[in-house]
Amino acid sequence: MELLKNLPEMDLMRSEKMTFVQLIIPVESAHRAVSYLGELGLLQFRDLNNDKSPFQRTFVNQVKRCAEMSRKLRFLKDQLHKAGLLSSALPAVQSDIDLEALEIQLAEHEHEFIEMNANSEKLQQTYNELLEFKMVLQKARSFLISGKSYETAEGRELEENVYPSDYPETASLMEQATQSGQSNSTGLRFISGIIPKSKALLFERMLFRATRGNLFFNQAPADELIMDHLSSELVEKTVFVVFFSGEQAKTKILKICEAYGANCYPVPEDLTKQAQITQEVLSRLSELETTLDVGIRHRNAALHSIGFQLTIWMNMVKKEKAVFDTLNMLNFDVTKKCLVGEGWCPIFAKPQIQEALQRATFDSSSQIGIIFHVMDTVEPPPTYFRTNKFTNAYQEIVDAYGVAKYQEANPAVYTVITFPFLFAVMFGDWGHGICLLLGALVLIAREGKLSSQKLGSFMEILFGGRYILLMMSLFSIYCGLIYNEFFSVPYHIFGESAYKCRDDSCSDAYTVGLIKSRDAYPFGVDPSWRGSRSELPFLNSLKMKMSILFGVAQMNLGIILSYFNSIFFKNSLDIRYQFVPQVIFLNSLFGYLSLLIIIKWCTGSQADLYHVMIYMFLSPLDDLGENELFWGQRPLQILLLLSALVAVPWMLFPKPFILRKRHAERFQGRAYGILRSSETDIDSEPGSARKHDEEFNFSEVFVHQMIHSIEFVLGSVSNTASYLRLWALSLAHSELSTVFYEKVLLLAWGYENFLIRMVGLAVFAFATAFILLMMETLSAFLHALRLHWVEFQNKFYGGDGYKFQPFSFAAMADDED
Amino acid sequence: MGFILTTLIFLVIGIIACFCARICCNKGPSANLFHLTLVITATVCCWMMWAIVYLAQMNPLIVPILSEGE
Repeated sequence: MELLKNLPEMDLMRSEKMTFVQLIIPVESAHRAVSYLGELGLLQFRDLNNDKSPFQRTFVNQVKRCAEMSRKLRFLKDQLHKAGLLSSALPAVQSDIDLEALEIQLAEHEHEFIEMNANSEKLQQTYNELLEFKMVLQKARSFLISGKSYETAEGRELEENVYPSDYPETASLMEQATQSGQSNSTGLRFISGIIPKSKALLFERMLFRATRGNLFFNQAPADELIMDHLSSELVEKTVFVVFFSGEQAKTKILKICEAYGANCYPVPEDLTKQAQITQEVLSRLSELETTLDVGIRHRNAALHSIGFQLTIWMNMVKKEKAVFDTLNMLNFDVTKKCLVGEGWCPIFAKPQIQEALQRATFDSSSQIGIIFHVMDTVEPPPTYFRTNKFTNAYQEIVDAYGVAKYQEANPAVYTVITFPFLFAVMFGDWGHGICLLLGALVLIAREGKLSSQKLGSFMEILFGGRYILLMMSLFSIYCGLIYNEFFSVPYHIFGESAYKCRDDSCSDAYTVGLIKSRDAYPFGVDPSWRGSRSELPFLNSLKMKMSILFGVAQMNLGIILSYFNSIFFKNSLDIRYQFVPQVIFLNSLFGYLSLLIIIKWCTGSQADLYHVMIYMFLSPLDDLGENELFWGQRPLQILLLLSALVAVPWMLFPKPFILRKRHAERFQGRAYGILRSSETDIDSEPGSARKHDEEFNFSEVFVHQMIHSIEFVLGSVSNTASYLRLWALSLAHSELSTVFYEKVLLLAWGYENFLIRMVGLAVFAFATAFILLMMETLSAFLHALRLHWVEFQNKFYGGDGYKFQPFSFAAMADDED
Repeated sequence: MGFILTTLIFLVIGIIACFCARICCNKGPSANLFHLTLVITATVCCWMMWAIVYLAQMNPLIVPILSEGE
């Protein structure tokens, strides 16, 4: 016992000792102090302004400004993305950029970009229009030429008719008619434009209906895709020309054009004018193109220049916002010159915090130092475990069930080994174990690269658990060697099998079986068992008994941890009236069963253990007969049964009564205290008394104890049976593995055909990878986790604490991502 | 005999592993105790697994009966 008392505290066993501290910070060094504390990341601030709304807090304006700045930064980042540039983060030169200067800069940049965007949009629109005009010109020319030919033909006819005439007036009249007929001779006018191809058919039909068929619609697809500015996509467009006559038709057509979003462009009939306008349009297009180009390059250059600093700025703004949020948690004191803050910090961090505060005082050239002192409180402290990258994953899976109460024993210490071990008991196959090991090694080897990347959610979970995967694979290889399964094939690695035929002809090997001629196979399951008819009865018996043995061992470990908890919290009541009866009860029943299993194995007796256990309860005084495993078994059984029966009221009754007596004693003493003097601060009493009611609710305590005892008693049976899942899953794994090997690989390999062999190999590989490696891994992981969370932890774990969440810039960066 | 011998081998391997852990990562008494706990737990688990399977085969009640086609 002396040795045990002198042992140092184990690293991860109990959470760090925390202390409640109070900070009094003068206003001028407040901002700097809080940001230095944020970099340190070891102080959890308590929100002293909990009852205030966000708008009533002191630094609400600064928070708003930070939010506004981060909005601007997000806008800039969006612009960067849209331009297709990547924001390359240079390793930041941490120049102390002033926040206000940054604010002004950001406002300028935002304004600049908004302007640039508006301008370029206008230019782009003009460009599109010109492009459409150019296309209309190109296509419409061909329509008009054909139309022209009709006109000229008709005009010539008219002219021919005119010239032979002698009457100049008639001739001039005719001439006038032909002249005006050039625009109006057939009464034909046209509208040319361009419309998205999808709407062209409907458009044509609509026009047809509106003009009652008095139109000629000619269309041709445009050569290039045009950017539709509404949907900012490239769409196919069709150039159309509508020939019609009459004013009313014109208005109708124009309205329909507008409704369908067709853009109309005037095309002059005259060929020379057409050529002229085409030239103009082309030149303007090229001008616009260059302008747009220059604009885009200018914008990209501007984006590039800020792209480097964007991540730095975003981090700065995030930090500032966090600092102001934390400052909002502090209170102004009476003089309004200091901020008062309260919080939790680990005791080992006190010197570091003091040093950070001193630096803050110095850096802000403040005259007054920051006061940092310990305070008392009745609140339970938060739980803080200092984990490294190996133990972090295990601590997280323990915390997923419940965060440990302050300073109670941490199951993660044992979970590091027992969790992968129980996984391996259910997964045991050293071939699959090697595959898992390779996967784990790949993840660990690329640790540095993968930890800085942003991974998908599945990969992130897998990456976070890489060390668990490593341990699981190592133990799986070990258990696979013990079960003697390599993709379900046994090997004679550790020497010869213990079994051989009874005689040289091996005639009765198929009926009566082999015989054990040597000592037991030195390491693991004998390879002769695989494939035999009696394999399952043997392995089932072995694995079931193994599960019970592991279960009883782990549950005993749990109860022993509860003993260590009681010693630590100096709760002798728990030791005497909870730990001892629990140990007696569990071990007199299931510990005895484990003993019987071991004795049966050692002696090779044929006793039926089911029978022994059941009749131990039903008729303990009967003679055991052929089920006797050792001398004195019957009296021992009677003794154990009586101990178990005594243990149940032992864990149920004494504790509530003793608690009531203790409370009565304390209460009696307190009554005198109140009479003595009213100035005696009741707060000077130990903290627990302040929290509890004056009333000691005996029935509540008694019921609580009864529930606890019943849970333990019934739980000992159900939990022991629950460990049989170790047998069940390992059987399933083994059977699946055998089926895939025999019915897929061997079957395919039996054929001489190369193709069938390859197909069989591929199916075997896929089935192994997806069903055995992925599904079975998840399944065994889950069941091992359940065994830890429920069967192991409910023997000792409280799990009702809360986690230490310090104000830390590093944690905030992780959170945001 | 084989049982006790192999148990001793496990014990020796455990002690060697403890020394290796102490030599490789000596980070103060509390961390050392933690590593020691891990090594002891792992050794005990592995030994238990082996011992159970060994004991079960020492005096078997049934023997392998080969199936047709072996």
